Amino acid sequence: MKDPSGDVILEMEGIVKTYDTLVANDQIDLHLRHGEILAVIGENGAGKTTLMKVLYGLEQADSGTIRLRGEPVQIRNTGQAIDRGIGMVQQHFMLFDPFTVAENIVYGKEPRKGLFFDLDQANKLISEISRSYELPLNPTDKIQGMPVGLRQRVEILKVLYQNTEIIIFDEPTAVLTPQEVHELLKTLKKLAADGKSIIIVTHKLNEVMEVADRVMVMRAGKLVAEMAVSDTTIEELSFLMVGRHLVETEIPAMNAAEKVLAVQNLKLLSEEGALSLDDVSLHVRAGEIVGIAGVSGNGQSELAQALFGLKHATSGQILVNGQDVFNQSVKTIRNAGVAMIPEDRYLWGSATQATLSETAIMGHYANPSYSKHGMLNIRNINSFAQRIIREFNVKADSIRQKTSSLSGGNAQKLIVAREIVQGTPLLLACEPTRGIDVGAINFIHDQLIDKRSKGAAILLISSDLSEILKLSDRIYVIYEGKINSEFQRGNVTEEELGLMMAGGKHENQLV
Amino acid sequence: MNFDANYLAVVFNSTLRMMTPILYVSLGSALCNRVFIFNIGLEGTMLTGAFTSIVVNYYTGSVLLSLLGAMISAMIVSWVAGIFMVKFQGAMLVVGVSINMIISGLTTFLMQLIFGMKGAYVSTDLVALDKIDISFLSRWPILTTMFGSLTYVDLFAFVLAFLLYLFLFRTVTGFHMRSVGINKTAAKSLGVNADRLQIGTVAFSGLLSGIGGCLLTMGGVTMFAQNITAGRGFIAMAAATLGGAHPLGVVAASAFFGLAQSMANMLQNSSISSELTMALPYLSTIFALAFYNFVQIRRSKPSKN
Repeated sequence: MKDPSGDVILEMEGIVKTYDTLVANDQIDLHLRHGEILAVIGENGAGKTTLMKVLYGLEQADSGTIRLRGEPVQIRNTGQAIDRGIGMVQQHFMLFDPFTVAENIVYGKEPRKGLFFDLDQANKLISEISRSYELPLNPTDKIQGMPVGLRQRVEILKVLYQNTEIIIFDEPTAVLTPQEVHELLKTLKKLAADGKSIIIVTHKLNEVMEVADRVMVMRAGKLVAEMAVSDTTIEELSFLMVGRHLVETEIPAMNAAEKVLAVQNLKLLSEEGALSLDDVSLHVRAGEIVGIAGVSGNGQSELAQALFGLKHATSGQILVNGQDVFNQSVKTIRNAGVAMIPEDRYLWGSATQATLSETAIMGHYANPSYSKHGMLNIRNINSFAQRIIREFNVKADSIRQKTSSLSGGNAQKLIVAREIVQGTPLLLACEPTRGIDVGAINFIHDQLIDKRSKGAAILLISSDLSEILKLSDRIYVIYEGKINSEFQRGNVTEEELGLMMAGGKHENQLV
Repeated sequence: MNFDANYLAVVFNSTLRMMTPILYVSLGSALCNRVFIFNIGLEGTMLTGAFTSIVVNYYTGSVLLSLLGAMISAMIVSWVAGIFMVKFQGAMLVVGVSINMIISGLTTFLMQLIFGMKGAYVSTDLVALDKIDISFLSRWPILTTMFGSLTYVDLFAFVLAFLLYLFLFRTVTGFHMRSVGINKTAAKSLGVNADRLQIGTVAFSGLLSGIGGCLLTMGGVTMFAQNITAGRGFIAMAAATLGGAHPLGVVAASAFFGLAQSMANMLQNSSISSELTMALPYLSTIFALAFYNFVQIRRSKPSKN
């Protein structure tokens, strides 16, 4: 269905949406043809999610018109969007964990029998559409405990059940393994071939090239380009998206030095009695970045927390520069020379209501230049905060503003800055670039490489494989709490890693 | 033996009468828990119902109007609380405590204004809720004791528990309510008006607590006393938690607290100091909640195998 003369099903014209002083969408035009896949790309904060929210009724545009099949429509809430055949698979899944697959899918359009919810009918309907779209799912399974790929499948079936014709996918591949991504892209093509019109919001350009018919590039709230995918290249799109050429960082060779972190036979029994970490042994040398690859939920979080003293391990040994820090307090471990970029910047990394200068010294407040005899040295703290905000390009109005007022990328830069500038010999970097834009990702990568060049040891835990492959000198793959393989830089491909992450089996884990 | 059976029948009867006011409020509280609202204002709305029913009773002498007045007044107070909690996102604890304090003060004040007295108002002019005629049980004296002096409103509490069970777990609206409690953002994104559902639930819980309050003042002895609810609203919240916010579980939990309440009353006539026996319902609340949480923690601990 790549016929450019296909019927235009959706037109958005002159969409303007402002938040206070920020213009998130500045006169954006979008049109979508029947049966095509349109990619909307841009960095975080470029306004693509806002545009989709306007279309899906989650936000109201300040001005502009939306026409469906030529008819002007008002979409005031998601209910109206769904009624008009617009569905959205959101980045953060909108699922109810204790409910079953069928209950989640029919939500909002439940089959009824008299006064009651007809669950049998729901199960039957879901079996049928799951079969007809070749997206196998058991309607009576609970969402709880399902892998991400299956949860996304539930989301897709939910949209299909609502009889939508226009399906919006918001960053659908952000949380998937390479195999799951492959499956999803196949599904997208099939849906388009079945006559659904698809908008995919993403910043992963190779996926755009693989699956989309047309691409719209947004930058800083403006539409900067629109073209057929066949007429463009990844390089051109990346330039349009960021507004400058991204320089691939050179990673200088380093001679491996002494072990800074040595972990032996680390075991951790979870509260439910399962082995979250099963005999994990690894080491990181000075001047080395070691990546831990794995599908999230295979023990990475537990590993980082055990190493940093946030969780007590059951047995094993953890040495930092020869000092035994096994099950020591966070304070002792920090004093032993460990810094940590936590995986969740709001849960662990900062307090959203704290000011930027407060966030800048969190975890380091006992440092004598920030506090003496229990009294904070506000002047030193502020000048330190100002310094790292400048050095790390954190876009902020004032050091007194709340951390929650920063965009995700800027909050992350501030936390990374805080943990890097302390100059510790070991840095635990957990998901250092999750959910932030390309510019900020590159900046943080450069900072990590710079820290490595200064002779620090870095343990990088990330579910983003390209990040692991780009930065790591060595890679461990973790699966179900076990380290199941180890690779040197350049000795492994993304696909091979993906297979190991799925337990080293060759059939697709999803089905 | 006969004395024992009779004594147990008396305890059973008194437990029934003590538990139903708690049960109404507790069902309301359970519904609130299901939509993720911690409605601590139920103590205040129960008191609202108790007071309004006596005032309407005093002016009209109509049982039906009194009951209606209790329901409507408590619902309005609760609805306002709901708006503050959901629309204006006021801290639930603060809104709830404010409601309780305002109502406690207001009813004491209005009581002096209307009845011209402090403490308690009792009058022979006041009518009580109609008792269920159980003369058909007269052949079995034990049964007569067990089910004597109950009102239709008492009986309806159990019917209501079952109806709410059907509503929560079998109807689409109940399904949506539970979903709002689990993930409000998701429910909203799927086109469910979650705010309205939450406010509606809080208002409805107020209505139920109003019935509970009316039962308190017009069920057994017909009277109003300053702060007559005496923490029953809070006990009901405990019962809702203890019953797992499940309407049928809530019946069992309310029965437990009804028993504690009735034991407290029975033991007043014994040699144990009355200060101690009066504390029984509250002590049992603390112990029951502690035990409940203990079991919950135990259950989530790893099973060593």
